[in-house]
Amino acid sequence: MKDLIKIGIPSKGRLRKDVLNIFKKNKLKLISKRGDRDLFGSVKAKKNIQIIYLHARQIIERLADKSLDMGFSGLDLLKESEINIQKNINVYKSYPYGKATLVVAIPNDFIDIFSMADLEEVAFEFKDKKKRRLRVATKYPNLTREFFYNKGVTQFSLVKSVGSTEVAPFTGSSELITDITSTGSTLAANNLRIINDGYILKSELCMMVGKSSLKNKEFQKLAKLLSTKY
Amino acid sequence: MKSKNLSENILRSVKSKGFKYIDLPSVIEANHIVQRSGENFRKFIFSFTDQEGKEICLRPDLTIVSCLRYLENNLKGKEKIFYSGQAYRKSQNKKDSIIRNQIGFEILGSKDEKNDDKEIINTSLKSLQNLKYSSGTLTIGNVEIFKLLISKLEIPARWKLRLLRHFWRDEYFNDLLKRLETNADIDPTVVEVDKKKFLDLLKQDPSTMIAGRSIGEILKRFDTKIKDPRTASKGKKVSKIIRSFLKIKCPINNAVKELNKFFKKNKINLAVDQKYFPISSNKVSKLNVMFSTSGGKLEYYTGMVFKIDIKSNSKIINCCAGGRYDGLISDLGSKKKVSAVGAAFNL
Repeated sequence: MKDLIKIGIPSKGRLRKDVLNIFKKNKLKLISKRGDRDLFGSVKAKKNIQIIYLHARQIIERLADKSLDMGFSGLDLLKESEINIQKNINVYKSYPYGKATLVVAIPNDFIDIFSMADLEEVAFEFKDKKKRRLRVATKYPNLTREFFYNKGVTQFSLVKSVGSTEVAPFTGSSELITDITSTGSTLAANNLRIINDGYILKSELCMMVGKSSLKNKEFQKLAKLLSTKY
Repeated sequence: MKSKNLSENILRSVKSKGFKYIDLPSVIEANHIVQRSGENFRKFIFSFTDQEGKEICLRPDLTIVSCLRYLENNLKGKEKIFYSGQAYRKSQNKKDSIIRNQIGFEILGSKDEKNDDKEIINTSLKSLQNLKYSSGTLTIGNVEIFKLLISKLEIPARWKLRLLRHFWRDEYFNDLLKRLETNADIDPTVVEVDKKKFLDLLKQDPSTMIAGRSIGEILKRFDTKIKDPRTASKGKKVSKIIRSFLKIKCPINNAVKELNKFFKKNKINLAVDQKYFPISSNKVSKLNVMFSTSGGKLEYYTGMVFKIDIKSNSKIINCCAGGRYDGLISDLGSKKKVSAVGAAFNL
């Protein structure tokens, strides 16, 4: 269909619930013909809108390659993506949902590390003594690399994590981690604490739009509507 | 003069000074670069994986590749070598080319360091004769003098190391100086909380490992830190001294006098002599020769550093730079320290 507006919504988790709520508040009823597991959907009485349920990371990639016009995802995932992806996407609206912070966390027993400046020093000592670099487990390699370098920490290597990053320091795969946290309770439960100035990025749920989609007037109306009530 | 002819003439000049031509591989293991220059350097390299899953990259710098060659071929003793080719590096600035044509020459594994410094500068000057220019500046510095100054300042040892480690990073070094002027190191409330944990850890076996570090090493560093705090007032004074040191710039024949005057004025028990400077004349050919304390902004430089800027068609062009990097080969894995000094022409 010409002028079909394709919208990406997270397929699971807290973000999905928040987005569905935003649609509800704006009286847009989402329909999934084949039930909750259907990854395609539509909006009642809006034939020009197609809903696609995707992983939050995928939503950003699909916006960049223009197979989505609008998507809901976390700011952390957008900022972590490559520059050529980011330059094709605009953040149209930030919502007070999905608030979380990407932080640097170390084992509680590292009492000699209070700030990133301490970490910088320990990282150099570690390399000198052990002839290898301090390892940082993370799902956010790009943001971590940039933040560490800006804080003077250059002697580290990244270990890519796909889940349960908190256990990495205690299973021998890293010495510290960076991870997203909303209350810090998961970190604390796993014997980790946040470095005093180790706050990398504050994230929240955002409505993101493909830059080229903004030219469509119907699209503009919809984006505006979804920005008013939430 | 066309670039190819220019390059051939420079190569001829270098060869006439007794340097031996070597070929360097175009791709190297990315791990060498990341281990040497840090994870952040990864964003500048063009890397890919080979059929075995090993990460390799296009050479981002010819000096590192040449030092790797010395190390991997288990070479010993003095080598005078030169090479030419392209280095490939990503840049945040769109105007920068990702391909850089370089001619480099180096003296590796020699014990006559001061004379080698002179020889590298003289070879650069001879090669420069192939370029058309109206005037220019040869700026010489020495990272060793900065190290000496830092060793004499009244700040905790860990701060001295920190300043030395980041001397080459303008922006971050400036941030460090600002921090030195303002904040004290220790937050007493945090220390109180951590002291309790400190006492708990003291009861445990110091060889117990926690996330790659032993309890012993954690306790030792905590103890050193609380016993050697830095006060903001002393930091202010030290920062002022460093800032004024980094402003020293003068004709090379005044360098000894200016530096010693500076040390005396700031009551620093130090004196330098002419041996730190490979040239004492203020004019070489069409170049003014200057001394500057702020030069050498490359992580691996350890001693003498220099750069040549020439004026050609009303443009100032940095055409050649070099210095001493005695720690590079050991950083790449050599058990012994191997002296190294070299320079490169960017074409």
